Amino acid sequence: MKKQIGIGFRKDFAEDFLSGNSLQPTFIELAPENWMGIGGYWKKILQEVAEKYPITSHGLSLSIGSPEDIDRDFLKQVKNFIKTYNIQIYSEHLSYSKCDNAHLYDLLPIPFREDAVHHISKRIREVQDFLGMKLAIENVSYYTPVAAEMSEIEFINAIVDESDCNLLLDVNNVYVNAFNHQYDAKEFIQKLPLNKVAYIHMAGHEQVEPDLIIDTHGQDIIDPVYELFDFTTQLIQPVPVLLERDFNIPELDHLQAEMDHLEYITDKNWKKLYATEKIHTATTV
Amino acid sequence: MPLKKFTQQQQSDLAGYCRTNELHEDLQVRRERVHHYRRLVFNVVNDSLQSAFPLTKNLLEDKIWDQLVHQFFSAYKPQSPQVWKMPGEFYEWFSESEQPLRGEFPFIDELLQFEWMEVVLFMMEDIPYPESQKEGNWMDSTIATNPEFRIIQTNYPVHLRKAATIQDADKGDYFILMFREKDTGRIQFMDLSPFFAVVVDNIAHGADLRSVLLALQEQMPQTSLLELQENTIPLLEKLKDKGFITGFKE
Ligand SMILES: [Fe+2]
Repeated sequence: MKKQIGIGFRKDFAEDFLSGNSLQPTFIELAPENWMGIGGYWKKILQEVAEKYPITSHGLSLSIGSPEDIDRDFLKQVKNFIKTYNIQIYSEHLSYSKCDNAHLYDLLPIPFREDAVHHISKRIREVQDFLGMKLAIENVSYYTPVAAEMSEIEFINAIVDESDCNLLLDVNNVYVNAFNHQYDAKEFIQKLPLNKVAYIHMAGHEQVEPDLIIDTHGQDIIDPVYELFDFTTQLIQPVPVLLERDFNIPELDHLQAEMDHLEYITDKNWKKLYATEKIHTATTV
Repeated sequence: MPLKKFTQQQQSDLAGYCRTNELHEDLQVRRERVHHYRRLVFNVVNDSLQSAFPLTKNLLEDKIWDQLVHQFFSAYKPQSPQVWKMPGEFYEWFSESEQPLRGEFPFIDELLQFEWMEVVLFMMEDIPYPESQKEGNWMDSTIATNPEFRIIQTNYPVHLRKAATIQDADKGDYFILMFREKDTGRIQFMDLSPFFAVVVDNIAHGADLRSVLLALQEQMPQTSLLELQENTIPLLEKLKDKGFITGFKE
């Protein structure tokens, strides 16, 4: 695989990004929900971006952890979007954002329970079959467990194993959860199904209480998270790496500096592996 | 193995808490932390509504606005997976529910409608423009118009006056033409007289000007076709300058 350091595309910086050259990602990531079925100004921007950069997608509303059925109409639209923009990675959160037939537009933690593992794995398989591609499931930040009968690491492993999906490893989320729930982040990463990691997210966060961090994507990446990224990239094969910055967006050259730092670390750990490793992010089911 | 009732209930209780702020005692979470979820979810919904309805938000006191958002989110189940469409559901919910705010602001539904229509026009999928040429005859050619438009009718001038200054005395028949500029994607709006609204609506739906004016003239026998024509064409010229009329077909 070639070197791939991307940025989460935000409307807030769309114009600066497209008109200047201070930010130079190798790919960009979009939430399909914000870009499908639209026209006008943002459609033009989308087309301009799509002409210049490969796109990965990171969904918001599939709600893979919902008790209810998968929304097939929605999935059809996503499939269409993926096809139109030749998207190689469709990732979603291991959480739920819809319940009792109401969308909540944010990520709620799923109970780490045996029946939830089976339920969600079945849904992931359904999505993968429908889309004809693997889903990359992201470990999310969570602030409280909900009626847990197993640990987070057991839960993630069981789902990846049973559904045969890929993993989007959000290194910042591991850091946040390790802090919030007092476990060892490196140990956690070592126990993940690392051969299934197809994509990495990196981001900043905000500490709101002495013992609580909220995953805001509104700050710079902190050194311990870079360090965890360094540790992680030594354990896995090269995959695309994405910088997420959703709020409090700084000058674009500042974001580029963060991406440069990510590149520095990946170069250090992956340089010899680039191009020798076959791409395994776009595997068809 | 299907999802157990218990697990389902826990998920439902957590989601329910985020929507209604009512914490079920059986919900097994860390009590001192769970409120962050309510806060985060509420913020997303609130931000999305504020950006769709800045004028309405401005009109209301913060406390009243927050109550309204809370009332909506606890009573209504948003159906769209696309958060930008959710304010449209808010507008529909509002117009169908009992709202004492209407006493103080009888124009509030129309203000919401106006603001929502702007979002719809700004975001909606592209509609192909009809082929047209620049020059033509107003009366006898078919006029080509921008297909990305709406005409809404209101009883209050929500498009002309700052919402807080609108009074009962402003009550009347207002027509607002809203359309998306082809090149910039920006939304333009124009106030139309009731007469001109009928003209614009008809030509935008493919009628030729002569037959529209003849039909209107039947209702005003004291006015000649020529007079109507002379009154109308300058307004159409203006719509052409603004980019709503794009030219003439054949
Ligand atoms: Fe992430």
